[in-house]
Amino acid sequence: MRMPPFTLHTPGSLDEALSLAGDLQSSGQEFDWVAGGTDLLPNYKWHLNAKSHVISLAGVSELTELSRTHIGAMVRLQDLADSNDVHPLLAKVSSMVASVMIRRSGTVGGNICLDTRCFWFNQSEEWRESIEWCYKCDCGTGADCRVIPNQNTQCVATYQADLAPVLMCLGATIHLAGPEGGRSMPLTEFFELDGITRNVLAAGELVTHLTFPSDILDWQGDYQKLRQRESWDFPEAGVAVLWKPGPNGSPSDLRVATTGLESIPGFHSPEADGVLASWEGESSIDELAEAVRKAVRPVLNTWYPPSYRRKMVKVLTKRASSGLLEV
Amino acid sequence: MSEDKDRVEGYRQQSGKLPFPRPGSGGSRGTSDLRDEEAIAGIKGTNEHKHDDLVTGSAVGRPTALVDGRWKVTGQAHYGDDVRLPGELIGRIVRSKHHYARVLSIDVSAALELPGVVAVATGRDASGSFGVLPVTKDEHAMAQEKVRHVGDLVACVAAVDESTAREAVRLIEVEYEELEALHDMREGLEDSDEPIHDRGQYHIGSSNVQKRVFQEFGDIDGMADNAVASHSSSWKFAGANHGFTEPHAVVANWDPSGRLTLYTPQQVPHYVHRALADVLDVPMHQINVHRTFVGGGFGGKSDPFPHEMCAAILSRKTGRPVRINFDREEVFWVNRGRHPSRIDMNLHADSDGRLCGIETDALIDGGAFASFGHVTTYYNGVLHTAPYEIGAFHYTGARVWTNKPASGAMRGHGAVNSRCAFEVGMDGVAEQLRVDPITLRLANLLPPNSATITGFRVTSIGMRECLERVREASGWKEKFRKLPHGHGIGVGCGFFISGSGLPIHWEPNKFPHATVHLKVDMDGGVTVHTGAAEIGQGSDTVIAQSVAEVLGLPLDMIRIRSRETDTAPVDLGSYSSRVTFMNANAAISAAMEIRQELLEAAAGMTEAPIDRMVIGDRRIYMRDDPKIGVSYLEALHKAQENKGALVSSGAYRTPPMGRVHKGAGAGIAPAYSFSAYVAEVKVDVETGQTKVLKVWAAHDCGKALNPLSVKGQIIGSCHMGLGQVLSEEMKYGRSGHLINPDLLDYKIPTVHEMPEVVPIIVESNDSEGPFGAKEAGEGPLLPILPAVCNAVYDAIGVRTSELPITPDRVHRMIEDRCKQEGMGPLDLVSPVLQHSELQATLEARASEHAERDSRRASDPDPPDYNNGALFGFDPEIPADEQDERWVVSVTPDSGYMESPRLAGSAWKHTERRHGGGS
Ligand SMILES: Cc1cc2nc3c(=O)[nH]c(=O)nc-3n(C[C@H](O)[C@H](O)[C@H](O)COP(=O)(O)OP(=O)(O)OC[C@H]3O[C@@H](n4cnc5c(N)ncnc54)[C@H](O)[C@@H]3O)c2cc1C
Ligand code: SF4
Repeated sequence: MRMPPFTLHTPGSLDEALSLAGDLQSSGQEFDWVAGGTDLLPNYKWHLNAKSHVISLAGVSELTELSRTHIGAMVRLQDLADSNDVHPLLAKVSSMVASVMIRRSGTVGGNICLDTRCFWFNQSEEWRESIEWCYKCDCGTGADCRVIPNQNTQCVATYQADLAPVLMCLGATIHLAGPEGGRSMPLTEFFELDGITRNVLAAGELVTHLTFPSDILDWQGDYQKLRQRESWDFPEAGVAVLWKPGPNGSPSDLRVATTGLESIPGFHSPEADGVLASWEGESSIDELAEAVRKAVRPVLNTWYPPSYRRKMVKVLTKRASSGLLEV
Repeated sequence: MSEDKDRVEGYRQQSGKLPFPRPGSGGSRGTSDLRDEEAIAGIKGTNEHKHDDLVTGSAVGRPTALVDGRWKVTGQAHYGDDVRLPGELIGRIVRSKHHYARVLSIDVSAALELPGVVAVATGRDASGSFGVLPVTKDEHAMAQEKVRHVGDLVACVAAVDESTAREAVRLIEVEYEELEALHDMREGLEDSDEPIHDRGQYHIGSSNVQKRVFQEFGDIDGMADNAVASHSSSWKFAGANHGFTEPHAVVANWDPSGRLTLYTPQQVPHYVHRALADVLDVPMHQINVHRTFVGGGFGGKSDPFPHEMCAAILSRKTGRPVRINFDREEVFWVNRGRHPSRIDMNLHADSDGRLCGIETDALIDGGAFASFGHVTTYYNGVLHTAPYEIGAFHYTGARVWTNKPASGAMRGHGAVNSRCAFEVGMDGVAEQLRVDPITLRLANLLPPNSATITGFRVTSIGMRECLERVREASGWKEKFRKLPHGHGIGVGCGFFISGSGLPIHWEPNKFPHATVHLKVDMDGGVTVHTGAAEIGQGSDTVIAQSVAEVLGLPLDMIRIRSRETDTAPVDLGSYSSRVTFMNANAAISAAMEIRQELLEAAAGMTEAPIDRMVIGDRRIYMRDDPKIGVSYLEALHKAQENKGALVSSGAYRTPPMGRVHKGAGAGIAPAYSFSAYVAEVKVDVETGQTKVLKVWAAHDCGKALNPLSVKGQIIGSCHMGLGQVLSEEMKYGRSGHLINPDLLDYKIPTVHEMPEVVPIIVESNDSEGPFGAKEAGEGPLLPILPAVCNAVYDAIGVRTSELPITPDRVHRMIEDRCKQEGMGPLDLVSPVLQHSELQATLEARASEHAERDSRRASDPDPPDYNNGALFGFDPEIPADEQDERWVVSVTPDSGYMESPRLAGSAWKHTERRHGGGS
C-alpha cells in the first residue's frame, strides 16, 4: 500500500500552526492535523478522504504539558499510562489502548479525535470500489451507507477510542484553538453526530488540551473494555463508571459513559441520575446496567455482532460498578 | 613425534620441495576442532532400527539451532521482495471488482500512454491453463473469459516504479457483464445456469460440484443397531487463512541467453516450474526456479500462482526483471486457506465401548478454483479412520466451487475440521457411556504395524504413550469433570500422514519421491543438493543433520544448496509433511555411498577389515580398537586420488501400499504421526470469552532428529490451531465480500492469548523413517481444536459445533442453556461423571492392548493385524473378506440416494460423459 502524496507542514509553535491553517483555509486548500499518526496514516494508506496538506503537531511545544489537572493534546498515550500524577484510572485506560508501540506514538488529542470506524469503510480503495463505495467516502458517486441503506443522511460508523468515557466521567473540559481564537467546553459537549462530523471542531480548529476540576481525585471507578485480543484490538464496547463515595456505602455522585457502540461516545447522565436518587446497592447496579444497555444502539460494522455488544454493555457496566459494593 | 607431525608417509613428493602438509583445508585450523570426544559410534535407541549402524553421535537427536537462523536474525536472509535486480520494473495486478462476471473488453490504452509504464498484459498473453493437480488445471495467469471472485486477476502492468504501476492499474478500463454469484456452498450442490467452471465431459451435472467422494467400509447396516451410544452433530467451520508473515512476492527475469529465472518464496518450486513451462510454452530446461527465503508457508505457498506467471509474462514482454509484491489484502485474494465447511458427524459405540460406526458428511467450500481440492475432499474422510479401530466407516464428501477466493492446503490439510468434529464426538460418546474419554480412546487403539479399515498400512504408533503422558502431566484424573464451573479440561487426538504416498505427477515406481546429491571436494565440506524447500520449518537443518550424522561430521562442514531447480534434483517440495521422512531418507542413502568410499579408503590405509571400521567425529577407526584409524580428511583424500571430488546420489521412494478401490491412494503414507493434547481453559460465563490456560501436547514424531524443531513445531501448531478454534475467521459480509482481509480484523492470537504449552516428544522409532523419524509439521495442529472444545464443555457444559468459538457464539450457547435450565449463567453447574461399569472393562482392555502393542512394536516381523480384530475377526485377514456384511463400496446405491445427506446429495447428478447435465 502506498500513501497518497501530500505536503507535510511542521510548525514549531501553536501560533505558527494556526497561521498555517489560516493560510491554507483562505487559499481554499483542505488539510488534516496529524499528531501521532497512528490513525490518520493507516487511513491515508487506504486513501480514505486524504487531503493534499497535512500539518503535523509533533513540534508544537505548547501541547505537551502533563499534570493532574492538565493534559496536553500531544501527550503520548504511553506517557499518560506511565504517569503517577494523573488519576489512576486515566493511566489504566491509557494502558489498555492499542499496543505499546502504538501508544508510544499515539496521543491523547488523536485518541479523542479518532476517526470513526466501519468495516465497509476501513478498507483499501480497490475493496471499496468493489462495493461501489459508501456514503462516508463516496468518491463523488453519491453512494449509500452500507450499514443502514436507503437513508443517505448519516454515517453510523463507530467511535472506538478508549479514553473519552473516562475523561467525560472525570469532568474534563476540552480546550480548542483556531485561526479565529480559542474556546472551551465540557468534553461531553465536544462530540457531535454523525460518523463523518464526529465532533464540533470547525475547519482549522484543533484541540490544545484538557483540564480537570480540582476534585478529580475524589472520583473512583473503573473502565471495562470488550475486545477479542488484549494485545491491540479496538474496543467493541467500553464502559466507564465513576462515582464519589458517599455516606454509608452509597455513592454521592455517579457518572457513566460508553464507547465503541455508536458514532460518538455516550454520556449516560439520565441513567446514572435515575439510580443515584434511590441507591440500593446491588439492585441499583443491575438497574443501571439494564438502563445503559437500553440506551445504546450499536450497529453491524465492527467485529462482534451488535446484539452481543449490547448485551455485554450490561455485563461491563456491572463489572465497572463492582467497586461500589466494596465501599 | 612432534617434529614431523606435518609429514605424511607414503605420499609422492616433488623433488626439492618441502613435504606436503598434512591434509587439511587451509587456514591455521585446517581441520575443525574435535568437538565431542565422548561420541563413540554405536547403537542407540530402544528398538532396533536399520539406521542404527549409521549413528555417529554427531548431529541427530541434539537440539540444534536452525542452520539458516543467523541469516534471519541478522536481517541478511533475502525473502521474495528483497531480490533486487538491476533495471527492475514493478508489476501490479488489475483485479476483478465483481464476484462473478464475464470480461467483455479491456482497454489498456490510457495505461500504456502513462509515462513510466513499460508493458501491460492480459489473458490474451497466456492462454495456457494450470493448477497444482494435473487432474484439475482450472487456473490461468489472467482471466480468459470470466472472473470468478473479487480479486481475481484480469490484467497486469509493469512500470518504472510502484506509484506509476498503481496509477496505471487505475487507468485500465474493464467492461464486465455481471453474472449471478454463488456464495452459499449449499447452493453449489444444485444445478446452475452458469457453473463457475466447465469441466467438459467430466462436469458433474450442471452443478458446481468440483469433486465428490462416497466411501463405505465395514458393517454399515449394523452400526446403528449395534450402537448403545451415538453422538451426532452438525458442524460449521469458518474458512481460515495461513496468516504467514511474508506476503507473496516474486521476481522474474529473462536473461540474455533466453532463460527465465523466477525468484519466488515457494514451498514447491517443482510445481511452479512445470506450470510456467505450460503457461509460457517454453521447455522446463529453459527455466530456473529460484526459491528465496520463505517467510512462512503453511500450505499457502504450495500452489503455482497466477502472479508468478504474470511476472514472467511481463518480463518476457519488457526484457527486464519484473518484481511483484503483494499487499496483505492480495494474500487473502489468493488465499488457499482452510476450507469453510459444513460437517455432519455421527459416532456410534456399542455396549463393549467399541466404535461400531462413524458417519461423516463433509461439504467443503472450495472457492473459485480447484487447487488441492481433489485431495482435500478425500482427506476430510479418510484421515479419521485411525488411530481407533472401527466397525464401520461411511463417508460422503463434496467440494463445490463458489465465488470466493480459493481454498486449498493449510497445515493439517483436509484433516483438521473433521478431526475436530470426530474428537468432540468421542467426548460425547464417552459422556453417554459414562466412561473417561481417555480410557475410551486407550481401549480402542489400533496396534502398531496394522491396517486401517480403508487399508492404510500403519507402521509405528505412539498414540498410547501420547495419551498416557498427557494424562499424567496434566493431572487429568484430579481435574476432569472436577474443576469448578467455568474452568475445564479436555482432550483431543490427531493422526496425520508423514508424506503423501503418491507423487502427483508421476507413477510412484517410475521416479523417486525425493533425490539428494552430495559432493565432497578437497576441503572436506559436503555440499548437499536437494529440492526440499526450506520454508522456515527447518528442512535444511534436518538434511544437514542427517548427512553430518552418517559421515561423522560437525554441522558446519555441511552446506545445503536447496534453492535452484538448475542445481537441485527434482523434488516434490514442502507439503504433506513429507520432507524429513523422504528427503532425509534420500540424504542418508546418498551419504551412505560416500561413507562406503571413506570406509574403503580407511580400510585400505590401515589394513583393518572394513566391516570393523566405524566413523566417529572426523575419524574413521576400528570399532574395537579406536587407536587404529585415520582422520576423515586422510580417508577422503585417499578416496579422491583417482577421481577428485566424491559425488553421490540417493533417492527415496515409498514402498507399495494400500488397497485398490477408487480413491485408495488418497491418504496412504509411508508412516503416520500421532498426537494427544490436553487443554485447560477458563470460560467467562457472562461474556463467553474463552481463555486457554495451559496445553500439554504430546506428539509421536518417530524420532526427534532435532528436538528443538519438534518442540517449536508443536508450540507453533498449537498457536495456529488456537487461532482457528478461538478467533480466526474469514468473514464474508452481506454482499459476499470478504470483510476482514487484513491482520487487524483477521484475528490471529497474539502473545496475550498464547497459553503455556508443554511439548512432550514421543518417539515410536518408525522402522522406515530416517533414524526412526516421522513428521512433526502438521499433525501437531490437529488435537488442539477438539481439546479446547472439549475443555469448554467440561467448563460450562455447552458443546460447540461452530468454529471459531468467538465469545458471541459461546455466549449464545450459554444463553440457550440458561433458558433450558431456567437459571442465570452464574448458577449453571458443569457436567459431572459417575463411571458406569463399562469403565472397568475398558481399563482392563486398555491394559491388555498396551501389552499387545509393546509386543508388536518390538517384534521385527509381527503377524498381520487388520482393523476388525476388535470385533472378533481374524486379524490376519481383512474383515470384509471374512464377513459379507463388511462392505467396501465407493458409489452410492439407489437406497442411499433416496435420502442422501447434504454433501452426499452431490451424487444426484450424473457426469456429462454419462449423459448428465446439459
Ligand atoms: C492496530 C491499532 C490498534 C488500535 N487500538 C486502539 C485501541 O484499542 N483503542 C483506541 O482508543 N485506539 C486504538 N487505536 C487508534 C489510535 O492508535 C489511538 O486512538 C491513538 O490515540 C490515536 O492518536 P494519534 O496521535 O496517533 O492520532 P492521529 O492519527 O495523529 O490522529 C487521529 C485523528 O485525530 C486528529 N487529531 C489529532 N490530534 C488532533 C488535535 N490536537 N486536534 C484536532 N484533531 C486532531 C487527526 O487529524 C486525525 O483525524 C489503534 C490503532 C491501531 C493502528
Ligand atoms: S456507517 Fe455507512 S456511511 Fe459510515 S462508513 Fe459505514 S457504510 Fe460508510
